[in-house]
Amino acid sequence: MSHSAPGSNPVAALRHDLRTPVNHIVGYAEMLLEDLEGASNAARRAELESTIEAAREALKMISLVLAPTRDTIEPAEVSGLYHQLENPQHRILDAVHRLLAAAGEAPTATFVDDLKKIEAAAARLVPTAPSPGGMAPAAGTGAANGKARVLVVDDEAGNRDLLGRRLQREGYAVVSAAGGREALEVVTREAVDVVLLDVMMPDLDGLAVLEKLKADPATRDLPVIMISALDDLSAIARCIEAGALDYLPKPFEPVILRARLAASLAEKRFRDQERDLVRALGVVTAAASAVEAGAYQAGQLASLAQRPDAVGRLARVMDRMATGVGERESSLRGRLERLRAEIGHARKTQEVVSHVEEDRLGIGDTFAGRYRIEAVLGRGGMGTVYRGRDTELDETVAIKTLRPELVADDESRERFKDEIRLTRRITHRNVVRTHDFGESDGLWYITMEFVEGLTVRQLLDARGTLGVESALAIGSQLAESLGVAHATGVIHRDIKPQNLLLDPEGVLKVMDFGVARLARGATARHTQAGLIVGTPAYMSPEQLTGEEVDARSDLYSAGVVLFELLTGRLPLDGATVMALFAKVLSEDAPRPSTLVADVPPALDELVAQLLAKRPEDRVESATVMLERLQALA
Amino acid sequence: MPRILLVEDNEMNRDMLSRRLIRKGFEVDMAVDGKAGVEKGRAGGYDLILMDMSLPEIDGWEATRQLRASPETKTVPIIALTAHAMAGDREKALEAGCNDYDTKPIELDRLLGKMNALLPPKPA
Repeated sequence: MSHSAPGSNPVAALRHDLRTPVNHIVGYAEMLLEDLEGASNAARRAELESTIEAAREALKMISLVLAPTRDTIEPAEVSGLYHQLENPQHRILDAVHRLLAAAGEAPTATFVDDLKKIEAAAARLVPTAPSPGGMAPAAGTGAANGKARVLVVDDEAGNRDLLGRRLQREGYAVVSAAGGREALEVVTREAVDVVLLDVMMPDLDGLAVLEKLKADPATRDLPVIMISALDDLSAIARCIEAGALDYLPKPFEPVILRARLAASLAEKRFRDQERDLVRALGVVTAAASAVEAGAYQAGQLASLAQRPDAVGRLARVMDRMATGVGERESSLRGRLERLRAEIGHARKTQEVVSHVEEDRLGIGDTFAGRYRIEAVLGRGGMGTVYRGRDTELDETVAIKTLRPELVADDESRERFKDEIRLTRRITHRNVVRTHDFGESDGLWYITMEFVEGLTVRQLLDARGTLGVESALAIGSQLAESLGVAHATGVIHRDIKPQNLLLDPEGVLKVMDFGVARLARGATARHTQAGLIVGTPAYMSPEQLTGEEVDARSDLYSAGVVLFELLTGRLPLDGATVMALFAKVLSEDAPRPSTLVADVPPALDELVAQLLAKRPEDRVESATVMLERLQALA
Repeated sequence: MPRILLVEDNEMNRDMLSRRLIRKGFEVDMAVDGKAGVEKGRAGGYDLILMDMSLPEIDGWEATRQLRASPETKTVPIIALTAHAMAGDREKALEAGCNDYDTKPIELDRLLGKMNALLPPKPA
């Protein structure tokens, strides 16, 4: 038909195929309008003007859906466009048919011919066969081979023959039945797209056949057009009430026959598509319920996912998402379980020993007027940590007393207060909450949320290495807490296994956010006292050399922790602190995979990037670190 | 009476446009594909050529290039007609040597305006 469609672009081809008939409709109608000057032709002019208006509306629909900027289109959109085009198409055909019906005194020689050209062009706006590249016809549709199948039911052989031949000429496949019973047999036996049903038949008449067709779910949606002599109006009315789509008066007017068949086939096609879509959506909805109930099976939507339309895409996306979520959830569950087992094992094998030597506070003392000291939890470069009971709030807290030299001057204290004020803003399940900073009897202290659990240091000492799964579980929680703190403007400065607590559920709690800030100011003034605060093995190169640090320094420390979790050793180590300094500043850390097997390459790479010497070469943020760890799930 | 060559493969388009142009006082000759268009165009004496761009045998772009290459038709105004309305069609048409460009569906007044702008002034 058209040589013009550029084959490579289906949208351009379809646009061309649809704009061409519109071009014809508008052109011929305008030409006819020119012929019909004068007041006597007002009614005809109005029909032609409405034809042009409908054609222009069709053009707008076509331009909107098949925009020149597009080169792909979903079959469902094509079906939708055809559906939209039916309205202007019907208006054009109706106007043309009215003009033809009144063509008795044709005003010009070419009047009827030109109207027929408009009619033919309008017919091309919506295909009667399944749309090109459109949705696959529903199962059982006779149109699957490209020809719509019409069942002609008439008891008169002459009528059957005439109608059958005419339909075949129009490109339809035809089956016929000589009576009502035979017709009912045919529809159960073969796929039919539309039934032309004579009203007056012996034995089982048209109305009875129609009622049986409509009563059976299998044939309920089959379009039925009644054939009847025009004097049989009451019978026609009963048939339409019983569900007939339309009727054809005898003798047949070919134009009307064609139009009604085309319309009812279009109707059937959309009804089939609708049913098919409803069924498909039912399957997707059921799968959604399964996802909610945690019972989704990967591949459950496989058959739908093959569909080329929007439902197919929905099924593919949903399958991918549901499968991904399920896998992540179960791997997370498994990982936490293993972590819990590790913690249980470590608790059994390692008793936390309480030393009470040289501590400023004794068990049973009341401190700062409100805390009753219950136990010593640990000692570090900063001071001693106690478990205490806050008698005012009746809750257990951790109290960290600070070595006097750290808070010797006002400036240090003020800066530290600022830091604590910031730190208190962080509320996150992976961050140990800081409560207060104060002084009592010359002793400065911080109070914090008390977490019952083990430090990652204790776990490492008990187990050697924790393996990939636990490293991922700890690493991602660490990254999450760092992300939140960095967003608040707090840098930890002393990330190390001793500061990472695991509660019995496997939830990581990072302690001492901002506390190390105190140490840095103090060290500068106490170098001669040889005060070493912080843990050189976990410090970034810039931190070791005393430069100002930013969030990326914490990421380096996190990299050291991850390395140790995976391999059981430090990436760089030395017999003395100076030897360690030298290595951290000059040597590249080995990859974890060179020391232990089974480290996923992406994790190996992440650790290497966390351990980059220059901050600008490192993973850029805790958020990115978290994303990359999650991608390993 | 200006002589127009309409090169158009679609029968209905040809019928419609030629009849409308004849009514407006043009003499219209027709060719049904690019090859015939080039031959007729060269044989000659047209005042203007309306060239559909999507044609069998050789397409409108190529037919235009060939017409432009012939001394007889080097200066005959050519208006490209296309139903695609693709982004860039206009530039492509002008590049191929067309003097102007119009899209289908044809708006006759618009097309006539473009034709008249390219045709020699009517003798008084």
